[in-house]
Amino acid sequence: MARIVGGLGVPHTPYFPRFAAAEGPDGEINRFFGKVRNELEKHNPDVILIIDTDHFNTFYFDNYPTFGIGCDDTFYGPVDDVALMPPRHIVSHKAMGLHIHRQLIGHEFDTALVTNYKVGHSVGVPFYFLTPDLNIPIIPIFLNGHLPPMPLAPRCYAFGKALREAIISWPDDIRVEVVGTGSFSLDVAGPQMFPGENYGVPDLPWAKHVIERMLAGDIEALLSEATEERMLAAGNVGGELLNWIAMIGAVANDKADWIDLQEIRGHAYGVWAAGGRQ
Amino acid sequence: MSIYAVNRMCHQLMHDKNHRYAMQNYPEQVVARLDLTDEERQAVLAGDVGKLYMLGANAFLLGYLTRFEVLGLSLPVYNERMRAMAGKTPITDF
Repeated sequence: MARIVGGLGVPHTPYFPRFAAAEGPDGEINRFFGKVRNELEKHNPDVILIIDTDHFNTFYFDNYPTFGIGCDDTFYGPVDDVALMPPRHIVSHKAMGLHIHRQLIGHEFDTALVTNYKVGHSVGVPFYFLTPDLNIPIIPIFLNGHLPPMPLAPRCYAFGKALREAIISWPDDIRVEVVGTGSFSLDVAGPQMFPGENYGVPDLPWAKHVIERMLAGDIEALLSEATEERMLAAGNVGGELLNWIAMIGAVANDKADWIDLQEIRGHAYGVWAAGGRQ
Repeated sequence: MSIYAVNRMCHQLMHDKNHRYAMQNYPEQVVARLDLTDEERQAVLAGDVGKLYMLGANAFLLGYLTRFEVLGLSLPVYNERMRAMAGKTPITDF
């Protein structure tokens, strides 16, 4: 039976590989990601699931699922011009993806099956920093945290719990890490940009508040506060908080071990120990 | 409502290098072929991203216009035009 060995939350800014290279190994971005990577290496997973929001690279308005499961031996990306990370075929785990998809439908989450697919920076960039050799299979779990109507926060938490059951019902004795990725306050190319920049952090106090809730393990309060209106007020990709909420549900531990805040970008980097029955 | 075509034009800047080159070098020809209203067509050719945003275009996709510097949309120009829309509520088509 598979075992969940921990949870992580990280951002996925497409410019980070280039910025990090410019800053050098002791720069801020490498320090934040390096600290999370150390924890990931201690968790020592055999497979990594990443709950992410696609930004028009896997999907488009033509067909934009609320929840989807990547089910293939490999996927290709990132396809959206991420400097220093040219697209490549990334190893996944088809049988386990299909198992998770089937199990979730059995638990009343009617996920979309996603196969023969490409991904963008929101899947690629976290692993540029976390597993640069891309030697651990990655299963993308797509959650719409971008285009209204987004799923409700309590629904995403319940999705995470169902995802957990799907993972641990996988018959092989393997170790699984669950990653949630995104920002709590970020406006990309929208009216709430900082002057002169291509992004803005419209509501840093909200990001700090979210982090406080996560450090306190006060998930019920967070679920009631994280309405679509509230999240979008914090930026046009503020709904990516839902990816973290689903991750917390999967890890079965509402309380983060630690979370670092990168104020200038409204980004958070956090780690959760595995909880619940195994 | 053809804001779909505006979004698609932006989207293809990322994923179709021929389209990107065409928009960078002879945008009038590309835009003439798109299924747009007159209002949208004028706004696209003028690089009026604030207007396009208010008509329902997606900001994330509009951002590709400045990422690839088409229609005169250097970052300072794009930034100023988009920020002028702060606090306003755009039409939502999706």
